[in-house]
Amino acid sequence: MADASSALLISWLLLPLLAAFTAPLLPSLARPLALLSALLSIGLGLALSAGLGPWSLELIGPLGVLLQFDAMAAPFVLLNGLVVLAVLLDGWRQPLTGPFPVLLMVLLAGLDSAFVAVDLVSLYVALEVVGITAFLLMLRQLGGLQLWIGLRYLLVGNTVMVVYLLGVALLYMRTGSFRFTALAELTPLAGAATQALVLALLLVALLTKAGVFVSGLWLPRTHGEAPAEVSALLSGVVVAGGLCPLLRLSQLLPQLQPLLVAIGLASALLGVLYALAETDLKRLLAWSTLSQVGLVILDPAVGGVYALAHGLAKAGLFLLAGRVQERNLARWRQSALPLQQALPLWLGALSIAGAPPLLGFWAKEGLSRGLSGPASGVLLLAMVGTAAVYARLLLRPLAPASGGLPFGPALLALVLLGGGLLLAPLPAQGSLLKAAAVLAAGAGLELLLDLGRRAAGGARRLALPQLEQLDDLLGGIAVVGAALMALLLGGGLGWAV
Amino acid sequence: MAEPFRLLEALVLLALLAGWLGLLLRRNLFLKLLAMDVMGSAVVALFVLLAARSGLRTPILEAPVLPQPMQAWADPIPQAVILTAIVIGLSIQALLLVVITRLARIDPLLDTASFEQLRGAADGSPSGAGSHG
Repeated sequence: MADASSALLISWLLLPLLAAFTAPLLPSLARPLALLSALLSIGLGLALSAGLGPWSLELIGPLGVLLQFDAMAAPFVLLNGLVVLAVLLDGWRQPLTGPFPVLLMVLLAGLDSAFVAVDLVSLYVALEVVGITAFLLMLRQLGGLQLWIGLRYLLVGNTVMVVYLLGVALLYMRTGSFRFTALAELTPLAGAATQALVLALLLVALLTKAGVFVSGLWLPRTHGEAPAEVSALLSGVVVAGGLCPLLRLSQLLPQLQPLLVAIGLASALLGVLYALAETDLKRLLAWSTLSQVGLVILDPAVGGVYALAHGLAKAGLFLLAGRVQERNLARWRQSALPLQQALPLWLGALSIAGAPPLLGFWAKEGLSRGLSGPASGVLLLAMVGTAAVYARLLLRPLAPASGGLPFGPALLALVLLGGGLLLAPLPAQGSLLKAAAVLAAGAGLELLLDLGRRAAGGARRLALPQLEQLDDLLGGIAVVGAALMALLLGGGLGWAV
Repeated sequence: MAEPFRLLEALVLLALLAGWLGLLLRRNLFLKLLAMDVMGSAVVALFVLLAARSGLRTPILEAPVLPQPMQAWADPIPQAVILTAIVIGLSIQALLLVVITRLARIDPLLDTASFEQLRGAADGSPSGAGSHG
């Protein structure tokens, strides 16, 4: 490839980092620099989505860094830029102080690197940078709870990255390479058992980073208790740092797909179940993230767009959750929501629930087209549950417009609407009917659950097991690791598809 | 040549397992962190071992000496990779220890059970209230 484009791509990756370290020296430039970094990411994301590229960049020889700017990375890079832009716009009226702008730009650069990296070592470094930055962002408020949540996050994240490195070492020992593609060559070189072991080690790390199923049990409390703008970043893009490599692996090794479908659907059901039983707004959104990331890994062809649709909507909802004064859902309907906040909230919630013509509808359509058999039935169940979760947020009285427009969530909602209209201007009648039926079933389920909650007097909740202590998180990782190993070695996954 | 490597590999895996068990079973937060560090060190040792398979000589050329293909050089690639991981592991350990010194003000014994009960009263919203059964 031409030298000019490789120089451009390298400077695209380095500029946010350069900007991040310039910001503390010239604090007045912090906001413009952060804005520029976000716009650059959006720009490249749009260019890649429009079909430019793919470009591949090999640095320091065949054993060095390999970056792939392709259609798989496109929705993630776009999502990254948009969410960071929305967080910047949301805090536009307050002065941008302290380490926040620096961390924001480092996070952006780290995530973009994780999305384009296709060798395991670069991915390791990128994910660790993302993990440390996210940890520091969580400590914006220095309460005891924030410290504990941050410590849990970093401890769990670093532990799984150690497991990941073990997989990398085994791969290098057998193939002499760190490339993703070397994973496919493992079977002829070292046998199926070695390949299963390496894959299980890498997958358990990536699944934990992405917050999927019981290995992602760290997610609800972390995303629920972080400051609102940090939760928006965490649920919007940081989980995608694990999702994008998972989709790349799933595309490269099709034998993994039944396994990921099984884990993804299990995660979707688990998240929906806990979200339905939740009484706290931010924790409900966080449990719903755990369920939605499960849906992202179902299909590598649609996963990127699904992650984009979900990330945009969820980041907007978390930003709004920081503005609405009421976090307790039991009192959710007792006070009214001003129109400027209600509109983006409705658009975000409806998009995740899959209402046409929003982007989430289009992504859900693609997802259900790719599945068949019992898996599609489970997917339908998860969709109805998701609709019920968000029906609860929609039922809130409306107040006349007052206060300022929340720019960040409004921007994200507009993108959801615009993207949906652009991709699917005229959806087929059958899919419209199906979406309407899912939404109606979800609303019905929510009404039933609401009656149940009232009958119980609001005091008692569904008695689901408490799964979020530090030991549960570590145990969850062990369970997923052991299950992956058993399933990959056994190879008996035909039932899942 | 292969036998001692097998033995060392087994020892490294044992250290990794010991670290993992410590992480799971210890109730003291500080010991949990130490266990995590044991795991990290085990993986570092594995990479060093991996590099030593082709030879033990440090892969640094002195200026007047031309590369001699006959000599048993250690593989520089895993060493370079693990150097990065050591730096990252060290910084994470440092960050976690700083957090622990602050958490020690809440419970000087650093028992994890006392931190599980922390609720979000600091931000003034009824955040954690009623969210745990």
